[in-house]
Amino acid sequence: MNLLENPIFLTHKRLVHRTGVLAPLIIAGLIGLVFLLGLMESQRWAANVTPHETLGKGFYGWIVGLEIVILFLGGFNRIAQTLAEDQKAGLWDSNRLTPLKPADIVAGYWLAPALREFYMAAVLAGIGLIIVLSSGLPFTLWLGTQFLILTTALFFGLVALLLGMTFQRSHTGIILLVFFLFGPISLSAGPGRMMTSYLLPIYGIGQMFGAINPDSNSDWSEPGTFFGLRVPPLLITLALQSIVSLFLWRALVRKTAHPFQTLLLRWEVIAIFATLVLTQHALLWDVWSGKLATVWEAARLKQNYSDRSSFFLPYTQGLTLFIGAALLAFASPQPEQIRVDAMRLGFRNLGGVFSRSALPLALLLTGIATAGLFSQMMFSLAGSLNVFLVASVNLLEVFLTGVLLLDFCRLRHQRRAVGFLVLWLFALSIIPLLLGAIFTSTIPATFSLLAPGFIALGNQTDTDWPLLYKVLVAHGVIDVLLFLGWRQQWHQLLNRAAS
Amino acid sequence: MAEPLLVIEHLRVDFPDVVAVNDLSLTLAAGDVCGLIGPNGAGKTTTIRALSGLQEFTRGSVRVAGHDLTREPDELKRRLGFMPDFCPTYDRLTAWEFLEHFARAFSVPDRDRRIDECLQLTWLTDKRNALCGQLSRGMKQRLVLAKTLLPDPQVLLLDEPASGLDPLGRIELRKILLQLHDAGKVVLISSHILSELSGFCNQAAIMERGKLVQSGSIADLGRQMKRRRMAVKWRAEGSPAANILTAAAGLKNLAANALDATFDFEGEANALDELLKTLVLQGVRVCEWRAVGDDLEQIFLQSGAKELM
Repeated sequence: MNLLENPIFLTHKRLVHRTGVLAPLIIAGLIGLVFLLGLMESQRWAANVTPHETLGKGFYGWIVGLEIVILFLGGFNRIAQTLAEDQKAGLWDSNRLTPLKPADIVAGYWLAPALREFYMAAVLAGIGLIIVLSSGLPFTLWLGTQFLILTTALFFGLVALLLGMTFQRSHTGIILLVFFLFGPISLSAGPGRMMTSYLLPIYGIGQMFGAINPDSNSDWSEPGTFFGLRVPPLLITLALQSIVSLFLWRALVRKTAHPFQTLLLRWEVIAIFATLVLTQHALLWDVWSGKLATVWEAARLKQNYSDRSSFFLPYTQGLTLFIGAALLAFASPQPEQIRVDAMRLGFRNLGGVFSRSALPLALLLTGIATAGLFSQMMFSLAGSLNVFLVASVNLLEVFLTGVLLLDFCRLRHQRRAVGFLVLWLFALSIIPLLLGAIFTSTIPATFSLLAPGFIALGNQTDTDWPLLYKVLVAHGVIDVLLFLGWRQQWHQLLNRAAS
Repeated sequence: MAEPLLVIEHLRVDFPDVVAVNDLSLTLAAGDVCGLIGPNGAGKTTTIRALSGLQEFTRGSVRVAGHDLTREPDELKRRLGFMPDFCPTYDRLTAWEFLEHFARAFSVPDRDRRIDECLQLTWLTDKRNALCGQLSRGMKQRLVLAKTLLPDPQVLLLDEPASGLDPLGRIELRKILLQLHDAGKVVLISSHILSELSGFCNQAAIMERGKLVQSGSIADLGRQMKRRRMAVKWRAEGSPAANILTAAAGLKNLAANALDATFDFEGEANALDELLKTLVLQGVRVCEWRAVGDDLEQIFLQSGAKELM
């Protein structure tokens, strides 16, 4: 359906215009003009000290920053909130019961609610163009950055729909968490090596600015490498965003058509996870070229421990855990759904429950993440077997704990499940770290669910491997206990279903 | 019997702690206006939501004009009209714009004329430019009814449609439902206020705790009633009416006065006719002979369903 005939788009456009767009446009215009006047004034006073290009980059950088805040934060929140409110009011269902195609409904909610923010960004982009041209900066800087901002805004719009469909509130909190978690870590660990600096186009935009004056900061002037091949960051960003967006789009359309299904199908979860995690490992490939143990040994001999590459693998482990846990939560079917399936299909055994739960998926995701880790050390595996084993088993245990806890809390505590899940995860992951900080000892901290992988991948000379193995066994015991609890809860539910 | 338009077979909906709808089967033909009656929590709303496709059901099947709800949901979107028990409206759109939104969504031909028709049908023509958020609950209810009628669906599922309407609105709703009946539509209308349904329902389905306790045409259900509360009035004082009633078989809770009496009658309908005949033959000048409460109330009270709130 043509977007201009799409009733969802037209209605939300009408609602945006009804609340007024002139004032926000004037505000954006005035802010842009302030920067333009600032540039002109700087060019007059500092022309002999600082080149026009450098001044222009500074002022254009502010414009880009503002656009990012308006579109990524403002627009994201607007889309998620609109969808959540329409769901709450029953309008989402009313629209779903019309003959509109699910894709048209999703497109309407994707593109219309953030129109005000889009108009504001467009005004700022126009002023940005004037700044770029009047500073003698290349037009491609403007075109490239605006293109990346637009594609990222569209990508974030889909994420916003996903969250709006799943959660009724706290959308801003989630996006701020992502920004503050991934943004600074990406920057500190090395922006060109981190998948998140491509998914959020931090490196793409930074590299465009950095490429103009390559001597200023080598972090931002090099192209990215993918399995050692040099690839323009813009291409990596577009490829990543396109692949993930494609799967998000499919999930949203399917969920609109069939609201009783889980948000993501298993193969979609696997594809998204594999794309993101293997991209991360591909970006790191030429750091060790599969010889992690050899490179680490060489660094130890030179007593070079300040190498920033030692952050890369712990960061990768953290990213893998975060993405895997989030995807497993989205793909994990509600127990009620499995119970209805059990009643419909007449199965009462735990095998049927197991195959429908997210447990097999947790095993598959562990396999993918382990393959990524293996790629970094496959040519020197004997020297890094400890690292590989601890990091892999830690991944498996975290994923299993997450899935088992989620199901257990849903079965046991029902509507209070989220609260109890957070409580358990806090107890297993954060409290040991706090105890470690209080008693200034690493031993309690090592017992954190998240710790073994980070420690093993941290390239420390004093790693206590026997302790790490004991911690893994302790975490394994927790998983076994959780599994027994999970099994008992399912027995009760299936017996109730049968009666 | 006309061709069945809505066929529900063995419908079951499970919630975590309760079976909300249990083995419900119901068949409605063109022109049937069926009152879905039951106390709060009986499963009326869940049933209607399941029929509309908004609630997943565990077992059973729903067919509308031969199309299966689970297998061909898209086929049913133009055939089924659903009006929820609350009023989902875009508060910052006008009534006309709200209807235009759904007229576009349903690709309604001759859109403007149809919107005006529906506004007129629901007595909202003078509110066409009012914002939905400024309408009273009753007006919103009528607006959502207008939205439901826009695509001219074959089957209408109305969940408590009169709950927010004033007395005049209820009378007008009754007129609309009678028009729909005449137009051969199927209307399944849920309510726990029986007086709302009487007068235009020709079918009734009584639910309690998720189960269908009784269903059928109101005429048939009325004939099946074993006990009914009756009121009788006569003209002349000193007539033998009270004595005849006291002596009659099958009467309970008789309260006789000088010129009237009420009683519960247990037995077949023709036995009640015989009692009236006896009164008349013995010279009682009967001026009123009626069941207390309407048929639906009587049917409900004897259905075994409890506590109508």
